[in-house]
Amino acid sequence: MPSVTTFVKKVHSGEINVVEHTAKVLQEAKKLNREYHYYNTICEPLAKQQARAIKKNPKGRLAGVPVSVKDAICVQGVESTAGSKILKGYKPLFDATVIQRLKKEGAIIIGKTAQDAFGFGSFSTNVGLDMKAPINPLDPTRACGGSSGGSAGITQLTQYPHLSLGESTGGSIAAPASFCGIPALCPTYGKISRYGLMDYANSLDKIGPMGKTIEDIALLLEIIAGHDPKDSTSLTSKTESYSKSLTKADHHIGIIKETLGKGTDPKIKDMVLNTIDESEIKHASVSLPLTQKYGVSTYFLLAMAEASTNLAKYCGMRYGKHETLKGSFNEYFSKVRSHNLNEESKRRIMIGTFARMAGYRDAFYLKATKIRTKIIEEYKKLFKTYDVLASPTMPIIAPTFKEIEKLTPLQHYMMDTMTVGPNLAGLPHMNVTIGEKDGMPVGLLLIADHEQESTLLKAAKVIENVE
Amino acid sequence: MSNEILIGLEIHVQLNTATKLFCSCATQGSEDPNTRTCPTCLGMPGSKPILNKAAVEKALKLCLAADCTIAPELIFSRKSYFYPDMSKNYQITQYELPLGTGGSIKLAKDKSISLIRIHMEEDPASLAHLGSMEKSPYTLVDYNRSGNPLVEIVTKPDMHSSDEARQFMKKLITLLEYLEIFDINSGIIKADVNVNIKPYPRVEIKNVTGFKEIQRAIEYELSRQKQELKEKKKATQHTRNWNSEKGITTMLRSKETEEEYGYIIDPDLTVTDITDPMLQKLKAELPELAEEKINKFTKTLNVAEDHAKIISTDKAMAELLERAAKQVAPDLAAKWIRRELNRVLNYNKKKLKDLDFDEENFFKLLKLIEKKTITDTTAQKLLEQFIVKPFDIAKYVKDKKLEAVSDSGSLEKFCQEAIKENPDAVNDYKSGNEKALHFLTGQVMRKTKGQATPGEVNGILVSLLK
Repeated sequence: MPSVTTFVKKVHSGEINVVEHTAKVLQEAKKLNREYHYYNTICEPLAKQQARAIKKNPKGRLAGVPVSVKDAICVQGVESTAGSKILKGYKPLFDATVIQRLKKEGAIIIGKTAQDAFGFGSFSTNVGLDMKAPINPLDPTRACGGSSGGSAGITQLTQYPHLSLGESTGGSIAAPASFCGIPALCPTYGKISRYGLMDYANSLDKIGPMGKTIEDIALLLEIIAGHDPKDSTSLTSKTESYSKSLTKADHHIGIIKETLGKGTDPKIKDMVLNTIDESEIKHASVSLPLTQKYGVSTYFLLAMAEASTNLAKYCGMRYGKHETLKGSFNEYFSKVRSHNLNEESKRRIMIGTFARMAGYRDAFYLKATKIRTKIIEEYKKLFKTYDVLASPTMPIIAPTFKEIEKLTPLQHYMMDTMTVGPNLAGLPHMNVTIGEKDGMPVGLLLIADHEQESTLLKAAKVIENVE
Repeated sequence: MSNEILIGLEIHVQLNTATKLFCSCATQGSEDPNTRTCPTCLGMPGSKPILNKAAVEKALKLCLAADCTIAPELIFSRKSYFYPDMSKNYQITQYELPLGTGGSIKLAKDKSISLIRIHMEEDPASLAHLGSMEKSPYTLVDYNRSGNPLVEIVTKPDMHSSDEARQFMKKLITLLEYLEIFDINSGIIKADVNVNIKPYPRVEIKNVTGFKEIQRAIEYELSRQKQELKEKKKATQHTRNWNSEKGITTMLRSKETEEEYGYIIDPDLTVTDITDPMLQKLKAELPELAEEKINKFTKTLNVAEDHAKIISTDKAMAELLERAAKQVAPDLAAKWIRRELNRVLNYNKKKLKDLDFDEENFFKLLKLIEKKTITDTTAQKLLEQFIVKPFDIAKYVKDKKLEAVSDSGSLEKFCQEAIKENPDAVNDYKSGNEKALHFLTGQVMRKTKGQATPGEVNGILVSLLK
């Protein structure tokens, strides 16, 4: 299969008929969707309209490239639900900044991908009421990982060049990439505009590129990254041409020892260590004791506290699901929220509300904000010596749906143990597939210092090349 | 101290920025419902707030003028509660670190009202009902107001009478107008009032809109508490509503069931430093405030203190006096601005700053008064016409031959001359001949060319001949 860059060249030259190609892509998407449930919405009219426009005027660095978009990212006029029933029927009035940038470069938006409702999950099984969980492209009994599960699944399975936008709050890009076996990058917090992203936890949310190759995601990153005045938390630093910087470099990798202990599949541990050994990159074992001890609880307290305020706006008044107007506004809001939010959404609203209530907020919410600062310091210290940190992306291979059913909420939350650290610290990180176990992909997680996406991509390229 | 009255105010003032606090929608313009809105002030999923810097500067000016301690950084929080006027079901406000803390507003030489804090927040939407809120079959929401920039000023319970609360509100409005951060014509002032007569527990009255309503609510509540104290009723700390139609407060909730707001720092807005250069720049932009004007008027211009105080409550008038004082005697200008201009403006229900005021002609009028070219009565009449529709006063006076001598100063001069020139008539009058007075009056009338009233001349002659 050609890389995105090769494909775009053929579109520019007219060798590929974008209208015909897009029709084939849409047909495949619809067919796969019946079996795998990767899309909440396939936006056929928009995709066809874009294809016709590109055919007339084949310009842009992503001319004619099919892109699937996580449902939480607003696409003007296309139903966008963040994977929750409560937003059924909602068609945003505006494009997210990332969508504007994609459209400007000639990309074709194929559809909105399946996810855990509002990003609340690690397997894409916490989908909205009446919605179907996406199925792992390599084994239908297994989950895609979450929360950007649909994006990872379609990117792996489609036979056409393809890019996808995921979103990570605590690991929602790396986890599904690992389970589906694709490269994906979660950038430095603020590197990619959040304008038009339906919020899970604003201080943690990051949109990121997913693709079939490291080159593809470097290209996508370069297009969507960069300052946006519509997002106050957007970084003002300049973006680099990541796709041109994939040259070999001398790196020093720190392998996070806490991620290789109890709870991590020993086979995965061996694969990670062997791969780094064979890469011939200088490496050493490093420790992040604070992150290990407090990372997951700090992450969930902050994420849920923020989420519980973000989800307050969904009350059946202005958009999304409505109910018959009856009783007081409180009764009405409760009815809409009770009927249309799934169990995990309710759980996170309740825990998050609790953590910020008077009398508890000092002990939970405020303490978590302080520990977060300490965790950032812990990482920063390591980056004085090391260019990149490494660990498994997930402690296990993609679990089966049956296994997931048996997990308690806490066991479910513990799945994020390796990804929450860099997410809390706002550090760029990415998944690289390093091999297979029982026919399922195994992913290695690379973490770099703030704004060192280039370093990250270079290291990923070296790791990927290990046979 | 028993029966002491304690009043504290939490006042919400709308800043007069062109755009809203977190989006670029206009704060004024179309009054058609929901026309000045965007995804951000409607709370649409995916929208993000962007802070309006002009609003921050205006709020900082108020903090500086009230001598608050300014926060080192700007932090906004989310105050969560469900209500139909809230586009996001949380309000972006300041909680952890208000923009200003401490500070005070001076009422008189020996009386200041201390402030607890000044912070910024966004206004919710407005709700519309068919008839009364209780009876309306539905509620409509208008988001035009949603996201308007507000400052909240919280005072200590330093006011001990409704009159002091009124004085404080007046001083505050004067300050806001001097700083040009509030538009009294379109801006709304709302307050939550904390009031109690010891030993009655503290009562908070929510959402009182408007300067006069605040006063009414306090007066009603004080009389209600007095009555309850008389009847020895038991009461606990609680919150009340103000019913403006009926002019009464009603029970809303007890303090035990106080709202829980679950504040978190708004993660969509970055924490920004409030730097020294920024504050220095704003300090340099602060105008001369009312207190400084009073000082200047009384000390440098020798204007009577009561004139100075009253004129200084209106920035436009104070500035008018400053300019007038360069053309005529400051005290004369002050007297005419304070008494006559004020009277005519009040009669016409106008404010000086809203008027297309022909200042040059007004100064000409003052000069005519100063030179006694026209009488006070003529001047008053001219001013009355002039405020309605400006005209060339000097020309008008000439054309209509209004140059007159009817003020006692000039008349007295003519009377003294007449007395000097007619010693016989004076002697006759002094020996009881009333007709001699008529003669003298006639002489004076001739000197004034008939532009004086015989009664007035009579009066002056009588007093001079005593």
